Amino acid sequence: GPAAAQGVRAALRERYLRGLAAARGRSTRFCLRAGVCVEAVFGAADVAAVAFQVDALRTPLGVQAAALLRCTDVLAYSFLL
Amino acid sequence: MNDWQMKSPLDWEKYVNKMVKVAAVEKHEYEGWVLTVDPVSASVVLATFLENEKVSISVVLGHAVQEVEILKEGDDEMKQRLSCIFVPEES
Repeated sequence: GPAAAQGVRAALRERYLRGLAAARGRSTRFCLRAGVCVEAVFGAADVAAVAFQVDALRTPLGVQAAALLRCTDVLAYSFLL
Repeated sequence: MNDWQMKSPLDWEKYVNKMVKVAAVEKHEYEGWVLTVDPVSASVVLATFLENEKVSISVVLGHAVQEVEILKEGDDEMKQRLSCIFVPEES
């Protein structure tokens, strides 16, 4: 029923948030639209999944100290534990 | 919203602890063990075990997911291994 679905939802969300915590401070590769990939240090994500905050974003013009990547522009990201 | 984002938490839970292939937009493909699916964004969190004992985590954002195919079921040992990945280390 709805209560069971809500319990599952909470368990899935908790595991996801633990994953975000594990990503913090790690060098992360973001795959963006149009075949562009960028490297940055993972900072944080907002609760509504609108944007990722990253540090040391490596761009062709140099390293940006801090940046926001819009989730709609990001297809996937990966990092090593 | 795509079909994957429209699924319910009970649907997403069926993929947890399974080896899957995720087909994403722009012909991207990702393989790994499903750790979770974020119920807010429908993003799929995958783990792959590398030869040097490291774990690679890939997150495919829900809006980019086109299809998720189950390749293999996880046994109890794999479930245990996956459940330990995001547990904070005791200090």
